[in-house]
Amino acid sequence: MRDPDQTLDRAIQTLREPVEIGEAFDRRVMAEVAGGSAPRRPGPIGRAGRWLIQPHVVRVSPLVALAAAAALVVALLRPWERGVEPGAAATQATARSVASAAVPTRFMLVAPGASKVTLVGDFNDWSVDSTPLVNGVSGGLWTVTVPLPPGRYRYAFLVDGRTWRPDPGAPPALDDDFGRPNSVLTIGGS
Amino acid sequence: MLRRVICGSGVLLALALAGGVAQAQEPRLVGRLSDAARAQVDTILESARRDGLPSEPLVDRALEGASKRAPDALIVAAVRRLVEELGAARDALGSGVSDAEIAAGASALRAGARPDDLAQLRARRAGRSVTVAEAVLTDLVALGIPPDTAAAAVLAMAETDDAAYLAFRRNVERDVALGATPVAALMSRVAGGETAVADPTGRPGPRKP
Amino acid sequence: MDGVSEASDAEFVHRVLAGDTEAYAGLVARYRDRLGRYAMRMLGNRADAEDALQETFVRAYRSLGRCTEPNRFGAWAFGILVNRCRTLGAQRGRRERLQIADEVALNRAADSADPVDRGALREVLNRALSRLAPHLREAFLLKFVEELSYEEMAAMTGASIPALKMRVSRGRAELRHLLSEIDDA
Repeated sequence: MRDPDQTLDRAIQTLREPVEIGEAFDRRVMAEVAGGSAPRRPGPIGRAGRWLIQPHVVRVSPLVALAAAAALVVALLRPWERGVEPGAAATQATARSVASAAVPTRFMLVAPGASKVTLVGDFNDWSVDSTPLVNGVSGGLWTVTVPLPPGRYRYAFLVDGRTWRPDPGAPPALDDDFGRPNSVLTIGGS
Repeated sequence: MLRRVICGSGVLLALALAGGVAQAQEPRLVGRLSDAARAQVDTILESARRDGLPSEPLVDRALEGASKRAPDALIVAAVRRLVEELGAARDALGSGVSDAEIAAGASALRAGARPDDLAQLRARRAGRSVTVAEAVLTDLVALGIPPDTAAAAVLAMAETDDAAYLAFRRNVERDVALGATPVAALMSRVAGGETAVADPTGRPGPRKP
Repeated sequence: MDGVSEASDAEFVHRVLAGDTEAYAGLVARYRDRLGRYAMRMLGNRADAEDALQETFVRAYRSLGRCTEPNRFGAWAFGILVNRCRTLGAQRGRRERLQIADEVALNRAADSADPVDRGALREVLNRALSRLAPHLREAFLLKFVEELSYEEMAAMTGASIPALKMRVSRGRAELRHLLSEIDDA
């Protein structure tokens, strides 16, 4: 099985390859252009404007500013008591993680006898193996830090690939449809 | 040789052709659900999108079922139940709400909030997002607080901001962890002037944060 | 057209606006392949891509007086193309165009050292791209294929930068997933 990142990189290289449209296209365009009216020349003010260097305007919607401010409030408030560590290393990017608005969020589980623990939830499409926790120095404390944009996420830990465990330090999810309870995490700022 | 090239990925292409002409397919479900379950879920997704309901929570629910190796019937039933709750939340909240607000509303309904609670919350928030408020409502119920009490508390705090909601929830949690009963923890945070909150039993609260 | 290939975009633009219509052909020739690449990737087949491309160049010609930075004609025309692709994509629906798209490229691939692989990859790439929602596909292509900055993307699409980052991230993740599924097949 090929590495999906490698496949994706190869795909991007392929997509970047040039495309040939061909000269016949030019003739079609010029035929249509010549058939119609000539472009209107700009009026006196416009003509002067053309010679000015136009500043590059980037529209920033009010929502962007609000989200940025909210993210700052969240970072200062540390809403999730069990550890918000700005700057801590995050695992591989998840489908919804957005660098600028994401809050690094630490997940922990005590599982001394386990050989493998993964985090599985809404933020990684419930992938059972994309977000492994790392076993700490002692006591079987497994941890991982994941950047999460504002939102509400249901999740659980999968121990040794077969045992589902909710997060003892988080509220339980009340909608348990599959007989294996989850936990819920809310990252504010939305 | 071109024919062989095409047939090399022919199975997937044939599936894509069939799926593409008949109905849209959610790519993330391919290979994770059985074809039968996936077809049913795709139908629900398409109808949800047509109704303007968020599809992310539905896909997430299906993926959760897949990862937990639940039987097809259970996965489809779970997705169906959720789409109904999303619809009920959207009906209660009205138009112009975000996907996140609808999804959090559905969770609150599942937790036992009433549609009217959601409608009132939206009205009192006056244009600000209700997502965090709905989430805190749900979490308070998860702590053991009866839904109508939790709803009253959240409604009483409707003037405050998201950060205050989260702080409130966190404090109630901590008190419960320290041994208080959930309702007592809620009441003490409320009565202690944590925020501008009316007593959830209905008496007006005079203090401002 | 000797010597014309050295002329800047601005010189072409000014000549056209001064009445020399034929000079526009220089701009078309300069940018059609580059813009054509985006149109092909976004719309998935040559016919739609050339339609979008032709509409773009014609519109650009007709509103050439409103191009505020004539020396960046290409970027300005690209913005028009992105919008054209959105409209065309919505109208036509990629489902109706599931034929083998890029036959020129497939034939060329047949001559290359690795014919089977390249042809197959292009084909599955096209299909995988077609299964992304249009706004995700657009963001993915603008970021990873056209290599625009988020500021440029925001100015071009009118979406906010966080929204664009989210779309790029999701588009990338979905494409990655789709491609890895295909690889395993």
